[in-house]
Amino acid sequence: MSFTTTGNLSPSISDQAAPSAAKLNFNAFAGIKKSIKVTPEEIKLLSQYIYTISGIHIEPSKAYLLETRLGKLLEKENCQSYSEFYYKAKSDASKMLEKQIVDAITTNETLFFRDANPFELLKYKIIPEVVDKRSASALPGMPIPIRIWSAACSTGQEIFSIAIVLKELLSPLSRYNIKLIGSDISDAAIKQASYGTYNKFEIERGLPRDRLLRYFSALGENWKINDELRSMATFRKFNLMGSFNGIGKFDIVFCRNVAIYFKLEDRIKVFEKIADSLENDGYLVIGATESLTGVCPRFIPKRHLKSIFYQLK
Amino acid sequence: MQALKILVVDDDQVTRSLLKKRLSKLDYEIETADSGVEAIRIISHQYFDVVLTDLMMPGGVDGIAVLETAKENNIKTEVILITAHGSIDNAIMAMKKGATDYLQKPINLDELILRLSKIQNLKHLIKNASDLRVAMDVTEQASGETIQNLEITVAELEERITSMRSILNRQEIAPEKRIGMALAC
Repeated sequence: MSFTTTGNLSPSISDQAAPSAAKLNFNAFAGIKKSIKVTPEEIKLLSQYIYTISGIHIEPSKAYLLETRLGKLLEKENCQSYSEFYYKAKSDASKMLEKQIVDAITTNETLFFRDANPFELLKYKIIPEVVDKRSASALPGMPIPIRIWSAACSTGQEIFSIAIVLKELLSPLSRYNIKLIGSDISDAAIKQASYGTYNKFEIERGLPRDRLLRYFSALGENWKINDELRSMATFRKFNLMGSFNGIGKFDIVFCRNVAIYFKLEDRIKVFEKIADSLENDGYLVIGATESLTGVCPRFIPKRHLKSIFYQLK
Repeated sequence: MQALKILVVDDDQVTRSLLKKRLSKLDYEIETADSGVEAIRIISHQYFDVVLTDLMMPGGVDGIAVLETAKENNIKTEVILITAHGSIDNAIMAMKKGATDYLQKPINLDELILRLSKIQNLKHLIKNASDLRVAMDVTEQASGETIQNLEITVAELEERITSMRSILNRQEIAPEKRIGMALAC
């Protein structure tokens, strides 16, 4: 390596003045633009609209939620106010903006094996019982059918966690006819769930390294679920506020941490419909901090180890 | 905020000492390796927040190999590659393999320092988010237990009340007897 004759710096390092902003490809100190605020009337308008399209109930006090979640979208649409934004969304025949609003407003907080307990419950109690019952009634030689629904599956981590439990518990999978259905109201979430691909932050949450390496393959900086597990699941957009016609009956339903966003009267309707979609001896699992008391009298809670599940009375 | 732990990998001794001297002044914890082989050895038993490595190095183990080893050892390690002026293609290939960033020679120290500062801020934010999540999980677990206990208790009470009600409504039994039976529920 040759040295420069001026100064004592190696030619591989220079102390020149910071290059122009164009060369620095980050804007850590981007100017703070004045953000558009939402007025009380606009909160009412938007809350009502969001309720109509998704059933999500936003309290009037949660103005900050609207600004945080919808602010960027509003800017992208070049709107000068939330009223303008609202009318633009309502008048859009393609419903593209409506879909983007739903994507933005839904809380996509999810992780693999969330709470851990329900998955232990699946492994040690629910799946063994379902397998026993279904194999008793299955035609000899035919694969044993198991239908599981993750209502509000978000970006798919819950469904794939269930798939992993099934794979580890039931081998060979060919002896079973497993149908995992994941549904969510957000198009963007369903899209990502369908890809089965997660970035390094998402993959780190809830997945121990041995499971990561066994069931996922690296795709650049991302990780993609293996084909075998991916093929166990189908994803579709579904609004829990709408009709459940055609969704069929399930052996197991996971409906975790979504009902908390609904008004009580809507929660009652949703769980009533879920009760109709469950096999008579089926199992319902809800969020760790949720309760069906005063919501759906058709269900009875049962405890197993550290978890609670529900069955029809 | 804990200082970043950085491994500087370069076969050029002057580069290594200069970077070590300048970055240590900023309170970063610096270690150096004079080859890809040594880097891999060090990485295998120590965690680094950042690995700053030359792309082209003699000895059979180049920057890409160092990058791959670092990522395998810990997904959280950020790798910055130092590339020869003009070899953008190599740099882009490295980015695709998971490198966080690349810098072209001659290294502009101000630029490097700004990049490291950005990484430090990012890690700080990630730690905050992670701490919040832990707190949330703890709260969720605790309230989950409480709610589950209440859920089971309420279900049992509802059952008892239903039984008591049906007994008290049984007209064919004498009222005093009904009360006794209901209380036995």
